[in-house]
Amino acid sequence: MNEEEKNTWLKKNTFHHGEFWDILKLVEEKEKKGLTISLCIPTLNEEKTIGKEVLILRSELMERYPLVDEFAVIDSGSEDKTLEVAGNYGADTYLASDILPEVGDKRGKGANLWKAIHQLTGDIICYVDADITNIHPRFVYGLVAPLINREEIQYVKAFYDRPLNYSSGLRPSGGGRVTEILTRPLFSLFYPELTNVIQPLSGEYAARREVLEIIPFPIGYGVETSHLLDLYHKFGIEAFGQTDLDRRVHRNQTTNALGKMSFGILQTFINRLHAQGKIDQMPDMETFYRRFEVEDGAYRQIVQKVVEEERPPMIEIEGYRTHRASLSH
Amino acid sequence: MTIETQTKETTLGNLLKDIPRQIESLRSVRETFLTDAVLLGEVPSPTFGEEKRTRLVIDRFRENGLEDPTLDEFGNASGIIPGTSGESAILVMAHADSVFSSETRHVLEVGSDHITGPGIADNAIGLAAVVALPKLLNHLNIQFKDDLILVANVKSLGRANLEGARGFLDTMRRPVRAGVCVEGATQGRLSYSGLGALRVEITLNIPKDYDWASFGAAGAISHLNRLINQLMEIPLPKEPKSKMTFGGLTAGSSFNTSPKTGRLRFEITSEGDEVIDSMENQLKEICEQFSLETGTEVGMETVAKRQNCEIPFTHPLVKTTRSIMHEAGITPKVDPSTGDLNALIRAGHPGVTLGLTTVENLREENETIHLEPLYTGMAQLITLLQAIDVELCEE
Repeated sequence: MNEEEKNTWLKKNTFHHGEFWDILKLVEEKEKKGLTISLCIPTLNEEKTIGKEVLILRSELMERYPLVDEFAVIDSGSEDKTLEVAGNYGADTYLASDILPEVGDKRGKGANLWKAIHQLTGDIICYVDADITNIHPRFVYGLVAPLINREEIQYVKAFYDRPLNYSSGLRPSGGGRVTEILTRPLFSLFYPELTNVIQPLSGEYAARREVLEIIPFPIGYGVETSHLLDLYHKFGIEAFGQTDLDRRVHRNQTTNALGKMSFGILQTFINRLHAQGKIDQMPDMETFYRRFEVEDGAYRQIVQKVVEEERPPMIEIEGYRTHRASLSH
Repeated sequence: MTIETQTKETTLGNLLKDIPRQIESLRSVRETFLTDAVLLGEVPSPTFGEEKRTRLVIDRFRENGLEDPTLDEFGNASGIIPGTSGESAILVMAHADSVFSSETRHVLEVGSDHITGPGIADNAIGLAAVVALPKLLNHLNIQFKDDLILVANVKSLGRANLEGARGFLDTMRRPVRAGVCVEGATQGRLSYSGLGALRVEITLNIPKDYDWASFGAAGAISHLNRLINQLMEIPLPKEPKSKMTFGGLTAGSSFNTSPKTGRLRFEITSEGDEVIDSMENQLKEICEQFSLETGTEVGMETVAKRQNCEIPFTHPLVKTTRSIMHEAGITPKVDPSTGDLNALIRAGHPGVTLGLTTVENLREENETIHLEPLYTGMAQLITLLQAIDVELCEE
C-alpha cells in the first residue's frame, strides 16, 4: 500500500461518533441485517465506576434504543462490590472462572474477553473498559456502527482526543505514553501500515464473532496488540475501522505500571515476530517513523525519516590510535 | 359536608390509594430518571453558564416525545406535555443551575443505593425528575386534562436572583392552575412561602495611600473581621423571624502578607419586609462609617432583594400536599423558600416546593442522594400533579 492508499484508508475507515448520532437508524439497519450485538465489560474491583457504566449503557442502548441485545459483566474475582452493583443495574454478571471451567482459570483482562466469546451470543461483540469515568452511549454505538453499516469491516477500534493546548491550530495526536514510546516505533519498524491505527492500545473495540473466534487472546497487557497483528496478518488493513469517541477520562497509570504493561506488549510483539518469521528472516528495517497530527479535526499521518547511523568503536579509528600513541611518548 | 366536598374527598382518596402502586412502578423504571440525572449532572452548569445543560434538556425533552421544546430569551428550556383539554396549565419547574463552577470535576459515582457527586442533589436529580416526566407518566398510564409545562429554569442561584424563573413567568401568557418547584433536597420539604431575603456582597479595599503607620492599621482580613463583628451586633428581631447567614469570605493567598482586598457575602432573611428594608439601610450606614473610621474603601452591593410572599397554610394546595405526604409516609417539614417559589407566587400562581429524597453533604463535592426514598419522593410529586389536574387544589 503506497502513501496515497494509506491516506485513503485513513479517510475511508476513520469515523467520528457524531456520524452515528441517529441510534434509531442504526437499530433499523441492525434489524434489517439480522445482526445481534453483545456488550461486554471485563472487571476487577471496579465498584466505583461500574454502576454508572451499566446504568447509562443499559438504559440508553437497551431500554431507550434496542441496539444492544445482551449486556454482560465478566469479572476476574473482584473483592469489592463490582458484581453486586453491576447486577443491581441489570447487567448479566459472570465470574470468568465459571465460564468454560474445563480450560482452567487464568486471571487477566484478556481471559475475560476471550471467555466472553463463549458466553455471549451476539454476532458482534463490543468490549468497553470498566474504568471510564465519562461514560456515554457513544462509547458503544460509535464502535458497532461501522460494523453494522459496512460488511467488509471486521474490527473497529476507539481513539480519543487528548486535549492538549497548543498556540497554533496544529497539535500532535495519538495515544498514551506506551503507544507513543513503544507501540508506534515498533509498528513503524515492522508493520508500517498499522501505524494508521491512531490508538492501537485503546481498550474499547467491537468485532465480528467470526474474527474473534479465530485468533488467540493473550490474557494480559498484550491482548490489544495481538488482535491488531493477528487480524492484520489474516485480513490486511482493510478489515479495520477506527472511531473518534472524543474524550475519555480514566485513571492515570503510574510509570511503573506502564513499564509492566510495555513488558507484556513486547512479549506479545516478539512472539508474533517469531510466528510470522520476521525474527529468523529479518526484513530490511523501515526507517520511517510515523505519527499523527490533527488540524481542524482532520487526522494526517506525518512520516519522518529516522536513520540511526552508527560510528565504529573509537579504537578502530586510525587517527585516534595515532593521537593516543603520541600522548604516551 | 357538601356533595362537592364529599366528591373531592373521594377523588383525593382514590389518588392516595394509588401511591403504593406508583412507588413500585417508579422503582421498576428507575433507570429512566437516574440516567437523566447522571447525564445532566455531569454537564457543569454554574449560574450564568447553564447553556450546555439546557441544550441537553432540550434534546432529552425531544427524545422523550415533547413536541417543539424551546429555549427562551433568558436561557430557560421548556416543553409541554399536552393535556386532553389543555385549557389550563400546570407548571413544573426545576432550576438547572448549580453552585459548582465549571472547574469542578463533574464526575458522579453510581452505587447500588446512592449517587454521589457535585450537584446531584441540588439540582440534577430534581431536573431529571422533570425531564423524565413524560416517560414516567406514560409508564404509569397517567394522562392529564391540563397541559403540563415543564421548565428547566436558569439563573436561579446566588447573584442571579431568580432571573430565569422571573423572566419565564413574566413572559408566559397561559392560564396557570398551579406550579410545583422540584428540588432534590430534601424529602419532606414543604415550602408554600417565599421568604424575604437580602443578599449582600461587601468588598473591602486597602487604598494605595493607606497609612500603615496609623493606630489600628491592618490588612483586609483584620478589617473584615472587625466589620463582621459589627454586623453580628445588629439586633435582629425575634418577631418577625429574621436570620443573618454568612455564606462566603475570601481574602489573601499566603501566610505572611496582609491582603489589600477582601470580600464578604451574606444573606439576611426575614418574614417581615420592613426588617429587610431597615437592614439594608443599616448595612449601608455601617459600611460608610467603617470606611471613614478605618481609611479603607468599603463597597456594599445588594446582590438580591426579595419580598415575602406566601399562600396560606390552609390553601387547598398546601392541604392536599400534606395529605399526599402523609399517605406516602413522608413527614412534612415547613421550610420557607428563598428560591424559585418566590418568583412563582409573586407572579400570582399558587405553588409549592417539594424535595425528592434524603441527602448528605449538600453543596459539597461529595453531595450524595439516597435512592430508596427517591421513588416515594417521585410518587409524591406525580400524585400532587394529578391532584392539581383534577382541581383539588383550588380555593
